[in-house]
Amino acid sequence: MEHRKVRGNGIDIHVAIQGPSDGPIVLLLHGFPTLWYSWRHQIPGLAALGYRAVAPDLRGYGDSDAPPEISSYTCFHIVGDLIAVITALTEEKVFVVGHDWGALIAWYLCLFRPDKVKALVNLSVPFSFRPTNPTVKPLDGLRKFYGEDFYMCRFQEVGEIEAEISEVGIERVVRRILTYRMPRPLILPKDKSFWGSKDETIPLPSWLREEDVAYYVRKFEEKGFTGGVNFYRNFDRNNEMLGPWVGCKIQVPTKFVIGDQDLVYYMPGVKEYIHGPNFKEDVPLLEEPVVMEGVAHFINQEKPQEILRLIVDFIFKF
Amino acid sequence: MDLTFSHRFVKVNGINMHIAEKSPSVAGNGAFDGALRRPVILFLHGFPELWYTWRHQMVALSSLGYRTIAPDLRGYGDTEAPESVDAYTSLHVVGDLIGLIDAVVGDREKVFVVGHDWGAIIAWNLCLLRPDRVKALVNMSVVFDPWNPKRKPISTYRSFYGDDYYICRIQEYGEIEAEFAKVGTERVLLELLTYRNPGPILLPRGKSYDDPVSLPSWLTEYDVKYYVSKYEKSGFTGPLNYYRNMDRTWELMGPLSKAQVKVPVKFIIGDQDLTYHIPGTKKYIQEGRFKSHVPLLDEVVVMKGVGHFLHEESPDEISKHIHDYFLTF
Repeated sequence: MEHRKVRGNGIDIHVAIQGPSDGPIVLLLHGFPTLWYSWRHQIPGLAALGYRAVAPDLRGYGDSDAPPEISSYTCFHIVGDLIAVITALTEEKVFVVGHDWGALIAWYLCLFRPDKVKALVNLSVPFSFRPTNPTVKPLDGLRKFYGEDFYMCRFQEVGEIEAEISEVGIERVVRRILTYRMPRPLILPKDKSFWGSKDETIPLPSWLREEDVAYYVRKFEEKGFTGGVNFYRNFDRNNEMLGPWVGCKIQVPTKFVIGDQDLVYYMPGVKEYIHGPNFKEDVPLLEEPVVMEGVAHFINQEKPQEILRLIVDFIFKF
Repeated sequence: MDLTFSHRFVKVNGINMHIAEKSPSVAGNGAFDGALRRPVILFLHGFPELWYTWRHQMVALSSLGYRTIAPDLRGYGDTEAPESVDAYTSLHVVGDLIGLIDAVVGDREKVFVVGHDWGAIIAWNLCLLRPDRVKALVNMSVVFDPWNPKRKPISTYRSFYGDDYYICRIQEYGEIEAEFAKVGTERVLLELLTYRNPGPILLPRGKSYDDPVSLPSWLTEYDVKYYVSKYEKSGFTGPLNYYRNMDRTWELMGPLSKAQVKVPVKFIIGDQDLTYHIPGTKKYIQEGRFKSHVPLLDEVVVMKGVGHFLHEESPDEISKHIHDYFLTF
């Protein structure tokens, strides 16, 4: 595996790359609060099968640059980085695999540049935050629906969640989020009770080792959380500028996978969207969605071999 | 000649947009309303103009069977001008047009597009972002300038042309508006509409605009009155905000890096147009790079002796060029 810096959209993006240099590229997009590292199990497997696995740290995360302005974290900036990475490595179309924020970014990547994506495997996050009438502000909707303590709402005030994370401690925050398995939306009461008391240990599940947690903690200690949290601070701004794509369908062959204990699966409307006609209407080339039993949000870390298998079986067709 | 246009307002992309329309009049028993199935041409004006700049083409082309639609773009004329300077990126404006096409033509429908000046820039971006909504494009005056990560617009202009270059002078919010107010709306419009210098537009501070301006043959007193009345009412800020968002748009268009314009295009430019004399443009057109970015560039027409406002200067020729091209689809 090599690590290098590629010029993104005005910033440097760190990528982990493994696989033959002429292998079809599989671009792996992590979510919050993880890093390229969340794909550690899939990268060698893909490389061994002749693909070239490319896993960036998204802007604001890990070893990639984190520009200071919040308005530098729109979906346009992030997709701009990825197009720069793709075009630096190949002129061909690429496969894209996304999880959590990476999945949302992948949906936008397919909207903006269907000419660059051969096929998509998206994990956990269906095509939500799709472009709607900009008089509707997504953040208002989130507040009304879930309340002020919904984690996305708690992320809005600049510096607030950062201070809370600092106080609670990055290690505790990372452990708590990665091990969250409640089948309901993530609510963070302002009394900080969500994180548990400082002497309460958070045991790791079988699929997460102490050294994995240590890697995330080290990187978030270096970089801070602001970059990653800034993605959440651009919902309204994104929607205002997604006008050109209102009603636009995703025209890329897509496989969607979600765990039945994923908190996303329990957000109101999501089950109906995934299993109803609308998902297929928005993504005409969508294969039958896969729901994995007994699996929570961090699906590519919890069931690495199954996810690798699902990816490979799908992209093999193209 | 029927010079009547129908006007209405359409709610699109969060704003109230004014459009002018001229459709073929339906002859016969009216039981078969052909107007809804006529090919649609969407006309996109530039700066400092309005829907009105397309009056000749709308008359000519509607009589040839097209449904012609010309909006005032966001910030211009009778269309809403959002307060925030940030609301004038190409993404906002293209969003308006997608909303407009959905509302007045249909959400699966494609249209023909004709663009000039800023309208041409918007048209290029419309074709990049939603090629699935454009049947073919006749673009005028401004060539396609592919996104370049190394060339941030305003600093590039500054180093090429200096601080007095009009685009650089426009950047400071409110400043140029105050200067325009001193010179007077009519005088500002006349200076810009009659500009025939092949060189770049420079606006040195303190320059006086006292010499009389004579109207060219293609601009009547009535035309000037129309433009002046609209610009006096809605001001210059909306239109100027487009220039103030060139850097921001550049930042946001990173996803379109190396994207080609995948829509059939006919490009027309006057050889007296200042844009034709921007260094590198002639070579860009003649030596094939234009075509490499716009692979479906079917034809380039260079009109001799014609300036920037070519569709007002030579309206019949332009209408014929448009019809001849769209007829092939």
